[in-house]
Order: sequence, then C-alpha cells, then structure tokens
Amino acid sequence: MIKNLWFLRGLRKGIRTEKFPEENPVEIALWSTELIGEGNVECPVDAIVDGQWNFEKCIFCRKCTPSFAPKGNINIFRVRNNEPAFRKSFHLFPFDSGACGACNAELHNIASPQYDMTRFGIFFTNTPRHADAIVIMGVWTQGMKKALDLALDAMPGPKLVIALGSCASTGGIMGKGALENEKYDVIIGGCPPNPYTILSALEKARGD
Amino acid sequence: MRWYRHDEPHGRFIGSTGGMDIYAETYKESSRREIESTYTKTDQEFIFSYGPASGMLESSEIDLYTPGEIINHVDVGTDVRKRVIRIAQSDPLDALLKIERINGFHGASHAICFISAIEDAMDINPDGMMQYNRIVQLECERIRGNLLVIERMAQAAGFGVPVNQLAFLREKASRIIGRRGGHRYFFGVNSINSSCFNTDVIGKQMGAITEEFQDIFKGLLESKLFINRLQDNGVNNDKVSTGPAARASGLLHDARIDSRTLPYEDTEYSIVANTEKDAYGRFLVRAEEIQVSASIIKQLEKRCTNLRKSEYSLKDGEGMARVESPSGDLFYSVKILNGKIESLGYIPPSIRNIQSFRESMKGNIFTDFHFNWESYGIWTAEAGVVIQ
Ligand code: SF4
Ligand code: SF4
Repeated sequence: MIKNLWFLRGLRKGIRTEKFPEENPVEIALWSTELIGEGNVECPVDAIVDGQWNFEKCIFCRKCTPSFAPKGNINIFRVRNNEPAFRKSFHLFPFDSGACGACNAELHNIASPQYDMTRFGIFFTNTPRHADAIVIMGVWTQGMKKALDLALDAMPGPKLVIALGSCASTGGIMGKGALENEKYDVIIGGCPPNPYTILSALEKARGD
Repeated sequence: MRWYRHDEPHGRFIGSTGGMDIYAETYKESSRREIESTYTKTDQEFIFSYGPASGMLESSEIDLYTPGEIINHVDVGTDVRKRVIRIAQSDPLDALLKIERINGFHGASHAICFISAIEDAMDINPDGMMQYNRIVQLECERIRGNLLVIERMAQAAGFGVPVNQLAFLREKASRIIGRRGGHRYFFGVNSINSSCFNTDVIGKQMGAITEEFQDIFKGLLESKLFINRLQDNGVNNDKVSTGPAARASGLLHDARIDSRTLPYEDTEYSIVANTEKDAYGRFLVRAEEIQVSASIIKQLEKRCTNLRKSEYSLKDGEGMARVESPSGDLFYSVKILNGKIESLGYIPPSIRNIQSFRESMKGNIFTDFHFNWESYGIWTAEAGVVIQ
C-alpha cells in the first residue's frame, strides 16, 4: 500500500491559487494600502506634507487617523525603469540589508499557493549571478554594505534594483534607506508591503 | 514594580541586560559571565562560511569549522546586520513604533511585552478582558510562528508539497490576523492600556488551521526520510535554553507558567515538552504547541473585548515584563522619567537560541545544518539590534 505519497496528498487539496490579478484580491489587511485624506497631521516620518501622502515613507502607524484612512488600493509602488526582457522568467535575489523580518516574510509569501509567483514566471535565486533583480529589504547597515555592493556588481545586465518596504526606500522609522533612493528602479510601498502589491509591482517591473 | 523584585536569584535565569541579571521573579546586579568562545582553527580544519546574504530568510554570517565533514565549531554573527535603534529620551508611544519593528514576525510579542513594562512603570492595571485579548494575539502569533519553523524544516528536506501546504496555512493565519487588527504583523494594534484586535469567532478560524495542520503533521511523521534528518541532529544540552528548544530538552521553561505579566493561569492548558533534545524533539514540541495555542484562543475568545482604549495618566517609574514569544522568553524593562524613556533593558530569545544552536552543532555534519538551524526558530533581526 502506498502510505505516504505527498504527491497524492497535494492533489487531494486541489487548486488553491487565486485568480489575482484577473480578479480582485481576495483579502487584504487595510493598513498596507493607499491612505486617502486631507489636512496636515503629525506624522512621525513626514509621510504627509501639505496634505500629500507619500507611500515611500509611510510606516502605516495609524497616527494620522481619522484625517487619513486606508481605502484598499494595493497599487502603492513606483516603477522608474522596467525591463521587458524578464517577461518570460524573472529571477529575484532577496537581500536583507537590515529588515525586521516582516518584509522578508511577505516576500517569501508570494510563493505560497494563494499567490503562486511561479505562474507568472517569477522565481527566487540564492545567488546574485543568476538574478534579474535584487529585492532589497531593510535599512542601511554598515555590515551589509559590502555584501550589497558585491551583489550589485555580481548581477549580470540587464538588471533591476527593487526596494521592498519603507525601510529600504527611505529608512522608514528605523534608520536610513539601504541605497540612495534614486538608485532604485522600482519602489514598493508598505511596512511591510502586502503580497498582492509585491506581485503587481513585479509584473509592472517587466513592462506587463 | 508589580511583578519583579530586586532580590537574590529566584526562579530560573532568563538573561542579562543593562548590568542586571534577570531571573524568573527577581533581578540583581550582574555577576554572571558568559564564557566567550575562544576557538582557534586547527591546521586540519577549514572554515565554511555561510552568508551573510545566502538565500536564508534573513541575513546572518555563519562560519562552520570543519576538517571535511564533522563540524567542530560554529560562529554565528548577527553584527553584520546590526541596526542601531534610538529609544532613550523618546516618548513611550514613539518608542513603540520602533519596538514593534525589532522583530516584525513576532511583532505582537515585542509590542505587548514592551507595553506591559511601560504599564508596570506607570502603575496602569489593564483590565482582564484586554489582557485576554493580548493572550489571543500572542497565541495566534505562536501558531503562525510554529507553522513557519516547520515549513522551513520541510523545505530543508526539499519536500515541496508539505512546504506549500504549510505556506498556505501560514498565509491563512496572516489573513485572519490582518482582518482582525488591520495589519498582518500586529503593527499599530497594541498601545498603552489599549488593544484593538477583533476576536469574534477567531477560535473557529484558527481551529480550522490547526485541524488541517494535523494532516500535514501526520504525513511528516510518516516520512522516515524527514524524521531521520531530525533525529540526533542538534542535541541541545543547554540548561538555560529557552522556548521550544528548552521544552524539547525536558526543561519546563515557559514564560506562560512563570511570568505574571499576562494571566495565563486563567486558562487551562498544559505545556508541551519531551526529552528528545534534538531537532526532532523541537519539531514535535512546535507541532503540538499549535494545538495548545488553538485551545487557549478558543477558551479566551468570548472573554475578550475587541476594542479597548482606556485612559491613563503619565507617571514616572520603573517596570519589567516578560512574555513567551514563539521563540522563547522575551523580556523588557523600562525606566520612565519626566514622561520619557530614560533607559531600556531588553533580552530577546534569539540570543540564547543562537548559543544553544552553536553548542548543538558540534559533532554534527554539514548537511544537518539547515534542519538544525531552522528548528530553533532564530530571528537574527532581534538578536542583531542595539538599543540606545
Ligand atoms: S500612517 Fe503613520 S506614517 Fe503613514 S502617513 Fe499616517 S502618520 Fe504618517
Ligand atoms: S519596512 Fe517595515 S516591515 Fe519592512 S523591514 Fe522595515 S520595519 Fe520591517
């Protein structure tokens, strides 16, 4: 008798991947989506200046409520440069410069069955030499600087440099950005960004 | 200070911070010295370096000293990703924004422990319903944390199906948490004398996750290949180890039973422990703790309030608190002066777990490394942080 066939156990569960992006996200935690509101509020990271909300800085701390509130729009990312060469396959090298673990977990989550990044041809690689993009998480740290420089040098071109979360892009509340902001091709907002936002940004990063 | 007293050692040793040794019930000027390893590489050995950016979940620098197969010594460097966090002279609520982000994956544990220390310092007595709400949050975090550890252990074995099934459940848990607190990692959910986490029918939802987990657990237990990689791998003899690592070595070390910060005594549960001591024992403890956490949540869901914001007045003082995070004892102490944080003490479980891991790797072979590392549930983010 076949006692322990993981393959069959997997089949028994059926397809559990969602239809996103053809269909709307099934479930999002609101405090990772666009904030809308007006007025000047005290923001600990100056993410609201003259009533304008800046997703790159926001750490979603809720101190600006009720003047500002999240409305569920997951498209809080900026693509400065895209690279259509990665349309068929897109290999990401995750790089933790000084993250708290939550950005790491959310990036990891796009591989879970609900999102299944592989259906978009997105994969992780653990060497920068095989990477099309580096996904940087966390604040700048002295010790990781050399590793970051080496990783950026080791990547073949064309390549994309992606900031995941407010720490990497602006430093958030924990320090300074892992790289100078203008060095990023793609900036994904959130503290941490939610997996739907990450997938949408990655799709746009290759010109889809 | 309600829970801790300045006295001779009482209860087990938790760790040292700010010149103080912390025990289960007392604290005292530091007299303990951790013996720093002064290992010198022999001519027969080479150093196999792993990291800092290596495909692991977080950055860390791991040096394995080996003559070829057997590991003789291990160094784990967390300084490489050291974050310096400035807290001194901050308003406690501003400080909380940083504390939540020391280890985001255990954000509830850090926030609740820190807030409890502040409340202790300010003589604030949060009511029982709020405390139960906090326990529910911690147990949700524990379920998700244990799922991740087991998923990573299965990943080390290259078991695609259970890895995906566990990731599916973990994502489900994150969604339940996100729906109820607005944030998947509890950021912004807790504050001084306040918590905002909807617990309606949460017992049923987390219960469904744990039920589905049982099937995966059974499958993993039937897999000889997987179990063989865990048995006798990373035998932990550290008498002061913490969390699931301690409990898998027969030590009943658990802040849920010997810290008075949260009223766990109002629930019925038993601490899971075994005497396997190895990665297999840690796997068993974590798997069984998922059930225990689900049972605690079920018992408390109806005794909680969903949103509680109570007034408090600023007061100077000193406070200490300890909670059982998914990786073990987490301790904070604070001194508040003129409404600002004057000083802060901090003991995260990952520092002790790194010590236990290093010792337990001696005599193992390289291929044991990933299974053993993952079984400790170490977060270098919380170990590699300097709070000023
Ligand atoms: S949520 Fe916090 S960080 Fe974001 S804009 Fe509001 S106050 Fe600023
Ligand atoms: S952006 Fe937020 S979630 Fe991401 S590493 Fe920084 S503190 Fe953590």
